[in-house]
Amino acid sequence: MNPAPEHLVEAVLLVSARPVRLGDLASAAGLSEGETTRALANLSDRYSPEASGIVLRAVAGGHFLSTNPACSGAVERFREEARPAPLSGAAHEVLACVLYLGPMTRGAISRVRGVNSDAVVRNLLERGLLAEVGSDTEAPGSPALLSVTDDFLAAADANSRGDFPPLDSLVSEEELARVRERLTAPEAAPAEREG
Amino acid sequence: MTAPSTGRSLADFTVELDVYSGPYEWLLALILKDELEIFEVPLRELVGLYAGSRDPEAANALDRDTDFAGSAAALILLKSRTLTPALEPEPDGEEAAATPEELAERLQEYLKIRRAADDLRERFARAAGHYPSAHTAPPKPGRLRVSNDRVTLVARRVFSRLVEPPVRHLGPITVTLQELAGMIRAGLLRGPVSYEDLTRGMDRLRSAVAFAAALSLAQEGAVRLVQPEPLGALTLELLEAGG
Repeated sequence: MNPAPEHLVEAVLLVSARPVRLGDLASAAGLSEGETTRALANLSDRYSPEASGIVLRAVAGGHFLSTNPACSGAVERFREEARPAPLSGAAHEVLACVLYLGPMTRGAISRVRGVNSDAVVRNLLERGLLAEVGSDTEAPGSPALLSVTDDFLAAADANSRGDFPPLDSLVSEEELARVRERLTAPEAAPAEREG
Repeated sequence: MTAPSTGRSLADFTVELDVYSGPYEWLLALILKDELEIFEVPLRELVGLYAGSRDPEAANALDRDTDFAGSAAALILLKSRTLTPALEPEPDGEEAAATPEELAERLQEYLKIRRAADDLRERFARAAGHYPSAHTAPPKPGRLRVSNDRVTLVARRVFSRLVEPPVRHLGPITVTLQELAGMIRAGLLRGPVSYEDLTRGMDRLRSAVAFAAALSLAQEGAVRLVQPEPLGALTLELLEAGG
């Protein structure tokens, strides 16, 4: 008896600890991409957060199975591991810089943030959320260019960079206008201040 | 009378922070070694922890307070210095003062990044608790990257001739293997002899040749080598009297 397409796809996903792209999944299961897509659709119903302790996620350009976050306490007790400490505010800022303005150098990140960010970048490289993807050959010393990784997309539950809201939509025009007004408005006259 | 200062009055002060948990002295060391970013350390919380832990009646209370105040002041100074942006100098050597418009533009960009960081934090929090399969596939051989430099280095090692060890420290060889074999046979006629006794008084070279001769005799079946434990004493016994 030949296994059903869902079973083949399910088996391949079970043994992968990383997102598997559709083409790789189809190739491994011996299915067409159409059959694989239909199998994934059926599996996503079976592996929904409401129906199972395992969920099927579409992240970082691929699909993979992971545990349901609602069951994370049991998993952590079984593994005798605490959940990794959340990232600091500085780390989130660096990731946001690289996500929206990158690939960019360490120096460029520091200029945007206004503070030296080398230590934060080093920590994010160690965590696999940032990676060096080339070098800025026009800058002195050809500093490395940094970009976000697939691990970052998976950690942010995003399939691609397109899943993030546009940078300009995050701050309203009124807020931006207030910033400009506060910095560019002429200083009040001394008499006015005293009065 | 006060207790003598050991110079480490804060050795027993431990801290519990989000970014670090352990002895305060190690926290300082991690910061100084750049393994923990000073921005991540909430100094106000640190001061609160110390204030909560201090015992004004302790014999070394003054030492502890002084040491903590000194180190906390250094942390504040370090944090304030680190906050200074590492901007590239202007080509003409003088940093041009930013106009209000430029400042406003930079601040607006930073505000967007701050909002994006908040959005990321929420995303990360929502996605936390997903654990992937524990089945980690081995890397595919076809995808391994082979560096040309490493291949060249390995090939050079494989095909290069080994450098012969220097022998100048050895004296002239004045005895042959056969002569030493004869001496061993003669020495064993009176019964088993340890290798140590057999080579007593010999120099290193002669001792080594005697060992080679003993091995040769053992291979011929003329002598038996007995060593009850690895690296233990070696004893030689003659097997054939007339050999």
